[in-house]
Amino acid sequence: MLLLLAALPALFWDGPVDTAPALRDAGIKHIQVPAARLAEWKNVPDMAAEAADLQGALKLPAPTVNYRMDQASASRAPWLTSNGWQFLRQPKGRFYYDATGKTSALAAAEAFCFGANVMVRTDAAGLKPLAEMLEFLGSVNAGPLPPIADIGFIDDGSEAAGEVMNLMVRDNLLFEIVARPDPRLKLTVRLGATEYPLADAKNPSLVAHVIRGNLTDEKRSVRIYGSPVVVARLTGSGGKVRLHLLNYTGATRNVDGIRVRVLGQYPKHQLAAAGSPGLELADYSVDADATEFTLTQLKTYAVIDLSR
Amino acid sequence: MLAVPVDEPVYHRVTRFQPSGSLGMPGPYPGQVVRVHSEASVDAAADKVNRDLVKQMLARGIKALTGDARTEDAWARFISPSDVVGIKVNCSGAPKICSSPEVVAGIAENLVAVGVPAKQIYVYERFDNQLQSVGYGKYLPEGVNIQAAETSRRSILGYDPRTYVETSFFGEDDTRSNLVRLVAETLTKIVNVPNAKEHQAAGVTGCLKNIAYGNFSNVDRSHRFAKTNTLSFIGTLAATEPVRSRVVLNIMDGLRGVWHAGPFSEHAKFRFHPKQLMFGTDPVAMDRQLIDLIEAKRKAEGAVSLWDRSEKHVGRDNTDPNINHFIREPGHVEYASKLGLGIYDAAKIKLQVIEL
Repeated sequence: MLLLLAALPALFWDGPVDTAPALRDAGIKHIQVPAARLAEWKNVPDMAAEAADLQGALKLPAPTVNYRMDQASASRAPWLTSNGWQFLRQPKGRFYYDATGKTSALAAAEAFCFGANVMVRTDAAGLKPLAEMLEFLGSVNAGPLPPIADIGFIDDGSEAAGEVMNLMVRDNLLFEIVARPDPRLKLTVRLGATEYPLADAKNPSLVAHVIRGNLTDEKRSVRIYGSPVVVARLTGSGGKVRLHLLNYTGATRNVDGIRVRVLGQYPKHQLAAAGSPGLELADYSVDADATEFTLTQLKTYAVIDLSR
Repeated sequence: MLAVPVDEPVYHRVTRFQPSGSLGMPGPYPGQVVRVHSEASVDAAADKVNRDLVKQMLARGIKALTGDARTEDAWARFISPSDVVGIKVNCSGAPKICSSPEVVAGIAENLVAVGVPAKQIYVYERFDNQLQSVGYGKYLPEGVNIQAAETSRRSILGYDPRTYVETSFFGEDDTRSNLVRLVAETLTKIVNVPNAKEHQAAGVTGCLKNIAYGNFSNVDRSHRFAKTNTLSFIGTLAATEPVRSRVVLNIMDGLRGVWHAGPFSEHAKFRFHPKQLMFGTDPVAMDRQLIDLIEAKRKAEGAVSLWDRSEKHVGRDNTDPNINHFIREPGHVEYASKLGLGIYDAAKIKLQVIEL
């Protein structure tokens, strides 16, 4: 089983030392810099610096949402640029984002949510949002927790398999990559199997729909109602689970409320929402099968610890 | 719950409410409709409503429905002073076409007259921007509340998380449509005030559509491409408790109307002035009259029938009265009758027509 890495993302900064005041003003205390600049940054007070290299790291698109208002579509769901599947496919990979402005915070949260080894390169406008998010992530860092999944996906490494995983992440169909069917999981998916013909993989959206139908909504560990731009990830074990919620429009607008259903009975809860201190869950209920609650506002990222 | 498109949606109702009282749909006057027409109720050229005539129309209509001699006695059959009353308006075509403020104010005044404190009256709608565009506050008795479920578009906070209808139409991920929280938690009675409009998906939008799609979230997911599931979804929502029990009276505002490209009103050429109000407790019987009204107008304008299901009349450019976005489903009215919401058979409907 893969453990969720709990390392914090880092700011990759290739500016000269005379930019240090801007970093400090934004709240940045730790940076990764090109090796050639390490010596000069080592002498800067109140700033931890270490050498890093973008070479060999996979560049990721900045997380965002495209509403595709001008396109006819079989779905009204907006298009989420999400990188969760990349992190799941390459759990030991090194990644970096070029994420400007407030997108830097969302990028850091996305990487943290999936336990990825990530550098975030941003511009001046992105420093403060990133610093605030990094501080929040540090405050909720609970160490490695195992992911909770409903689906075992046998990844053949193909582009088609990647796109199916991408859609599963965006559709909150929780999966983990397995080498062979795992009896712990509710469903196994392998492209090319009778139920998932390779010919259908040309339409990954169709495959994701079939997977969802075969799993059934009742067996999904997490359901999100009220927003198509929120991605959930669930980790934990032994009566304690952690729900991560990412708002992919977080750089520009809040989500004004989502209803969440988590399979299982969890009478206790604790919410930590970035940028919303003191926020409480509303309409909390525990029934025979599931726990439900309303998160009244989601700015960029929230963590909800549930326990028995 | 299925995650793939289905031909016959399967509905799962979740509600803690049981049927209550004897006034809920179809109410004490099943199959009965009163239509009050007044040629002078609207100055069509100026599009101006005669408020005094509207008051008279309201009084004549409610008395004709109940058979009472006094207006207060007629209202008192439906509403008591302890009630918290919602006036469900329709503002989707606002500000040009909506539940007229003169009609809504007249209803509120009658509620106050039977002893309901103004603070116990709520004029409500789903979308705040549409509701605010009308400006009801200038017309209503002081103290009446004006409230929208969605002050921020698509926010779920104005809906009851524990009362919903769940279904998958096209494999959409959000499969729930939740009831307006005000209805679930505050109101004891609802006066439904729809308009007389054609609807691109439902065929017409009258009593049933206003009380169904106008009281639940996440309903536009029922349409995609030319297909709409309004046939069964409208009645299913309207029959869900507590909606069914709390809607005690329908007053259809047909002073103005829309005969094509509804429920919005982007094109003036599709507006008309039926100059009438309809009264009843049976939403099916009333909507049956609405179908006839819109169908007759469309026929007079040379437009295809509401019942037309030809693919060649489906398209995006609905400035042409023979082109529509969807295959319409006016059969939703008859479908609702099969759920016990009212009488659809024209032979069993008793229509009183009053001319002022």
